[in-house]
Amino acid sequence: MSLVEKFEEHYKEKLVRPGNGCCPGCGGSLAWRMLLEALGKNTVLYGGAPCAGCAMRVIKLPRFGFHFSFVGDGASGIAAAFKVKGREDITVFSSAGDGGVGDISFGKVSACAERNDNFIQCCIDNEAYMNTGIQKSGLTPYGAWTTTTPTGKKSKKKMIPMILAQHRIPYLATLSIAYPQDLMKKVRKAKEIRGFRYLHLVMPCPTGWRFPASKTVEVARLAVQTWIWPLYEVEKGILRLTMKPKQRPVEDYLRLQGRFRHLTEDEIAEIQRSVDEEKERLLERDGKNIWL
Amino acid sequence: MPMTKVMEGNEAAAYGVKLSRVEVIAAYPITPQTELISTLASMIARGELKAEYIKVEGEHTALAATAAASAAGARAFTASAAQGIVYMEESIWMPPGMRLPVVMCIVNRAIAPLGGLRPDHNDSLLQRDTGWIQIYCENGQEVLDTIIQAYRIGEDKRVYLPVAPCYEGYVVSATATPVEIPDQEEVDDFLPPYKHEMYSLYPENPRSPPRLMRSIAEARYEVQQAMERAKKVIEEVDREYGERFGRYYDGMVEQYRCEDAEAVMVTMGSITGTARDVVDELRAEGKKIGLVKLRVFRPFPTEEIQEIGKRVRAIGFVDRNTSYGAVAGCGIGCIETARALYPLDEHPLLLNYFVGLGGSDVTIPQLRHIAKRILKAAETGKPVKDVEWVELEKLEE
Ligand SMILES: Cc1ncc(C[n+]2csc(CCOP(=O)(O)OP(=O)(O)O)c2C)c(N)n1
Ligand code: SF4
Repeated sequence: MSLVEKFEEHYKEKLVRPGNGCCPGCGGSLAWRMLLEALGKNTVLYGGAPCAGCAMRVIKLPRFGFHFSFVGDGASGIAAAFKVKGREDITVFSSAGDGGVGDISFGKVSACAERNDNFIQCCIDNEAYMNTGIQKSGLTPYGAWTTTTPTGKKSKKKMIPMILAQHRIPYLATLSIAYPQDLMKKVRKAKEIRGFRYLHLVMPCPTGWRFPASKTVEVARLAVQTWIWPLYEVEKGILRLTMKPKQRPVEDYLRLQGRFRHLTEDEIAEIQRSVDEEKERLLERDGKNIWL
Repeated sequence: MPMTKVMEGNEAAAYGVKLSRVEVIAAYPITPQTELISTLASMIARGELKAEYIKVEGEHTALAATAAASAAGARAFTASAAQGIVYMEESIWMPPGMRLPVVMCIVNRAIAPLGGLRPDHNDSLLQRDTGWIQIYCENGQEVLDTIIQAYRIGEDKRVYLPVAPCYEGYVVSATATPVEIPDQEEVDDFLPPYKHEMYSLYPENPRSPPRLMRSIAEARYEVQQAMERAKKVIEEVDREYGERFGRYYDGMVEQYRCEDAEAVMVTMGSITGTARDVVDELRAEGKKIGLVKLRVFRPFPTEEIQEIGKRVRAIGFVDRNTSYGAVAGCGIGCIETARALYPLDEHPLLLNYFVGLGGSDVTIPQLRHIAKRILKAAETGKPVKDVEWVELEKLEE
C-alpha cells in the first residue's frame, strides 16, 4: 500500500476528511478528532467553533447552525424534533466558543441547562474572540494581552463550568486535548446520560496566545500540570478530579506564551497564589457534593 | 362535523395550530399573545395536541429553536408581538434565507416607547424586508383558517418560506366571535405531513441546502423568486380551502363593492370590518366608494393594486404604522402602493391616512372622514391633504 492509499484508507474510517482551514498548530482540529472519535456516527452537530468552524467544515456528520450568537437554542429545537419523531437515539452535540457560551449567549446556555434539554453543549474555549481578531472575552484569563486589553486583562476568567454546576445538570466535565484518554472517556460518559450535559474544553490557540505552532500540546499539558486548567467532572453534584498532576509553577505555562510576556514577577506571584488557593479548594471538595 | 364555538382570536389561533398538527412549539410570553401560548400548553397537557413545547427564556431563542426544529423535520410554531418581535430580529432573518417554512403569529402590538399594550402594525411591517410571507387577518375565524393555510403555503416546495399570520392584539386576539372549527380529518386531507426536500439531519441520510456552492446574490434571488411564486400558491391554497371548508378570502386582496367605485379605501387587518360598515353606509347614500382589504402584504399584491388603480380616480391608504422621515411623510402601505401605481399611464390620486397609532381605537367617524375625503378628491381631482394624521384632524361630518 502506498502512503497515499494508506492515508485514504485511514480517512475512510474517520468522521473527518483530511485538511482544514485553521491556522497551523490550532488546537481545534485535534479537539474535533478526539470529540468525534468518542461521539461516533449517530450524531448531529449544532453550532460551530473554534473560529467560525475552521475545523468543522471537513466533518462528515449532519450539521446545522445559525450564527455565533445562537448557542444551544437550535440544539433545543433539534432535540425536541427528534423526541417527537422518536429518534432520541441520535446524539445532539452543540458547540461554540467561549465568547458564544460565556458572553453573548450565556443566558441561552443557562436556560438550556435549567430546562435540562437533551443534548451535549461543548464550549471550545480559546480564551478570547478569535474569529474577530483576538478581543477579550469573559473567559480571557487575568493578565492576558488581547487587542482590547493591550496592557493585560484586569479581571478574572469567568468559571462557566462551576456556574453550570449550580444549575444541577446531570453531568459536566472539563477537558484538555493534552489528555485524550481522559477527554474521550468523559465524552463517552456524557453520551450515555440523558438531559443537559456540559463539556468545557480549553484549547490553545497559537495565533491568539502567541506561541509557536509546534507547542500546542505542550501548552495544553502545562495548563493542566500547573493546575491553571484542572480536569474534573461533576456527576449528579459530585465533584471528582480526574487528574491530580504534580504541580508545576505557573511561570512555566505563562512564559511560553507571548500574551503574558508583559507580566511582572509580582503579577506572576499573584497568579500563582490564586491558582494554589483554587487547587486547595478543589482538593477539599474532591469526591463531595458541590451543589450549594 | 365542523363545530362552531364562540372564542377569542387567540383561542382560534390555538385551534389553527392544533389542527395543523404542529410538532414543536417554542415561545415566550408577551401581552397580547399570552392566551395563545397558554391555550396551547393546556391542549398539550390534556393530550389533545402531541407537540413538544420548549418554554424558552426569550424570543431570540424562541424563533431559533423553532427554525432548528423545522430543519430537523418537525412542523414548528411560535408567536410573539412588539418588543418580542424586535428582540428576535436577528433570528427573524434565519428562516427565509435558510428556506425553513415555520409559522409565527404576530399578535400586533405597538412598540415602546410610543406605544402601550394595544395594537398597531409596526411590529410586523418592520419585518417586511426579511423574506417572511405576511398575511393580515380580520377576525378569529380568519386567524384559524390562515394558520392552516400558512403551513400549506410555506411548505409548498415552490415556496419554502416562513409565514406570519398577523392579527391585532385585543381587537382580534381578545374579542370573542363565533368560530367554526373544521374537522381534523378534513384538515389532514388538506394539509399533508411536513416533509422538507432540502433538509434531513438524520445521520443515516443527511441532506442540507448546498448554500456555499452558490453565490449569495443567486441565493437571494431565489428567495425573491420564491416570494413571486408564493402569490400564485397563496391564491391556489385559499381557493382550495374555500372549496373544502366554505371560506375563501379572495387570495391576496379582497375587493368589497369596488366594481363601479371611483374612490377606494385600502385597509389591513381588523380595521376592515369597521370600514365595510362605513362603505355600506355611504353606498346607501349613492356614493361610489369601495374597499380594498390588503390581506397579504408580503409578497405585495402589485398586479391587483395596478388593476384597481386603472379603474378608480382616488385611492386612500389607511396606514396603522409610522415610518418616520419616509418619502413625503407617508406610511409603509402608501409607499408600496405608490410604486405599484407608478408604471400606469394614468394614475389615480394617492392619499394617505394614519390611524390607530399606538393602539388608539379606529372609529366609524374617522373612517367616514377618510372615505369622504377620498370621494372628494376623486370628484374634484384635488385632495384636501395628501397625508393626514386623522386623530389630529377636525373630522368631516
Ligand atoms: C451578534 C453578533 N455580534 C458580533 C459578532 C461578531 N463576532 C463574530 S465571532 C465573534 C467572537 C467569537 O468568539 P468565540 O465565541 O470565543 O469563538 P472563537 O472565534 O474564539 O472560536 C464576534 C464578536 C457577530 N457575528 N454577531
Ligand atoms: S486563531 Fe486560534 S483558534 Fe482560530 S484558527 Fe487560528 S489558532 Fe485556531
